[in-house]
Amino acid sequence: MSIIKVGNLCKTFKVKTKDEGLKGSLRSIFSPSFRDIQAVNNISFEVEKGEILAFIGPNGAGKSTTIKMMTGILQPSSGTIQVLGLDPTKQRKELSYKIGTVFGQKSQLWFHLPPLDSFNLLGSIYEIDKVKLKKRIDFLKEVFEIEELMDVPVRKLSLGQRIRCEIAASILHEPEIIFLDEPTIGLDVVVKQNIRELILRLNREEKTTIFLTSHDAGDIEQLCKRAIIINHGEVVLNESIKKLKHDYLNKKVISIKYNEPVNVEKGDLNILKHKADSLKVQVDTSKQDIEEVLEKLIKLGKVDDIVISDPPLEEIISFIYRQSKEGGIDEMV
Amino acid sequence: MLTEVRKSLKLMLYYLKFNISSAMEYRTSFLIQCFGMMLNNSAFIFFWWILFNNVNTIGGYTFRDEMMLWAISSTSFGICFITFGNISNITRMILNGELDTYLLQPRDPLMNIVCSKTEVSAWGDTLYGIIMFFLIRGFDMKGFMLFLLFCVTGGLILACVRISFHALSFYSGNVEGLAHLVTDFLITFGIYPKGIFTGVVKFIIYTVIPTAFIVHIPAEIIMQFSIVRLLGVLAVTLLWIVIAYVMFYRGLKKYESGNLIISKL
Repeated sequence: MSIIKVGNLCKTFKVKTKDEGLKGSLRSIFSPSFRDIQAVNNISFEVEKGEILAFIGPNGAGKSTTIKMMTGILQPSSGTIQVLGLDPTKQRKELSYKIGTVFGQKSQLWFHLPPLDSFNLLGSIYEIDKVKLKKRIDFLKEVFEIEELMDVPVRKLSLGQRIRCEIAASILHEPEIIFLDEPTIGLDVVVKQNIRELILRLNREEKTTIFLTSHDAGDIEQLCKRAIIINHGEVVLNESIKKLKHDYLNKKVISIKYNEPVNVEKGDLNILKHKADSLKVQVDTSKQDIEEVLEKLIKLGKVDDIVISDPPLEEIISFIYRQSKEGGIDEMV
Repeated sequence: MLTEVRKSLKLMLYYLKFNISSAMEYRTSFLIQCFGMMLNNSAFIFFWWILFNNVNTIGGYTFRDEMMLWAISSTSFGICFITFGNISNITRMILNGELDTYLLQPRDPLMNIVCSKTEVSAWGDTLYGIIMFFLIRGFDMKGFMLFLLFCVTGGLILACVRISFHALSFYSGNVEGLAHLVTDFLITFGIYPKGIFTGVVKFIIYTVIPTAFIVHIPAEIIMQFSIVRLLGVLAVTLLWIVIAYVMFYRGLKKYESGNLIISKL
């Protein structure tokens, strides 16, 4: 069942432009000129209940603008949005009881006060019954391991601790969908992993639908089943992560460790590295048969170890960005 | 509608408690700012006292009348800045796209935004005005009730005029300078006798910078009660609330958000 339906969504911003320097500034006072910027251009997609979706794209692609329209912050120029059966433009308040948001760059906790005070204030804003609020805070304290942070002013928390408190604050009212806009921005690897585990737990235990934007391929690979890639305000790809990898992985890297030093004739092999008893070869599966290459390599000597790896997801995404910029996604070169 | 008003008042009270505890995080600073502001205001008594020693009345006002203007101005200003302490930041918040977190919450965004912060020194202003009232009028409880009512209406009008000017940022970009200028005018016009304002300025203090309804007319009603004038003040308060709401919500449709890194202070 689709709980988010976006149809032909567009958003145009009117931006004031001016010529260089003081002269340009003075001229713009008397005859201001404006330019239309199409931030989101005719995008359509749906999100199923309980899904973890990656909504990705390079900077300025229109990700945040789309999220802001879906949460009722911005008004679309045209198109339709339905989130949990509600129109965010007209039913923003009703919708806000059912959704949670974490903008990595915007805090909803009070900087000078401990998280517990912010939680209580948010409880009052969301009209959560006092007994229920206490239970919920106790539950979140345990899940997010923030018990000892609850009475420390937010300004004294580390970024990782703050983000954990931010996510806890955003799900205080048990939202059905949570929009995470770059939640792991600026975090170290260990904290990133913690946050990912928390997101997965939320999805698994509370059946929360997760709408995630991130520049971190690790977030996408470990959390999401499907990715929507947008660039220049348009959807360039809407695929499952599995299919995405399968379709764009026509390059494999074979690393072999031999029992003794081997001699290799280059021939049609694309050798990336050769060092006595170890060899790294890249195979373009659209041009070469991987079985043939493997056979050839195994015949060279006694094999101790062999690894066939895919290029990292990051490389695939960056390839899709580049291709969409050039005007078409064909094959990975 | 009534439920919404009740919810908004509840939120306002919660924020008030919340902001006081936030201010108490820096207790010494809180006390210094409060008493510093009272001291600052007191300095003006001497200025007026010396002036009224040389002339009997200014624009028809005696020293006591002038001090009543100060009492109402000061407490109205205090109530406005304690309860709606975030108004001064509206322009910046609009331009930097800082309204997002408020728009994501199930509360009236305007109330949520303006009440979410308090101005610590405004406690000093509020207290100063109350002390001043008792010094002028003695233990006049009926007068004090009227005084409190007018400080609330005054605080509301002050807040609404400032919100209306800040809301212009939705339409024409940065109006922070203009909004601050309007706040300065609202304070300055309110602490001088009404009689000295004539012509265009008199028109202004009854319309765009309505200090006549914030300070002057209330002071006259406390001195000589008039139900018609009291209703007039209440009607003007209501009118400014409507203007502020219309200006803000029409503008909000043009809000463009932003991507700055933001903390709630």
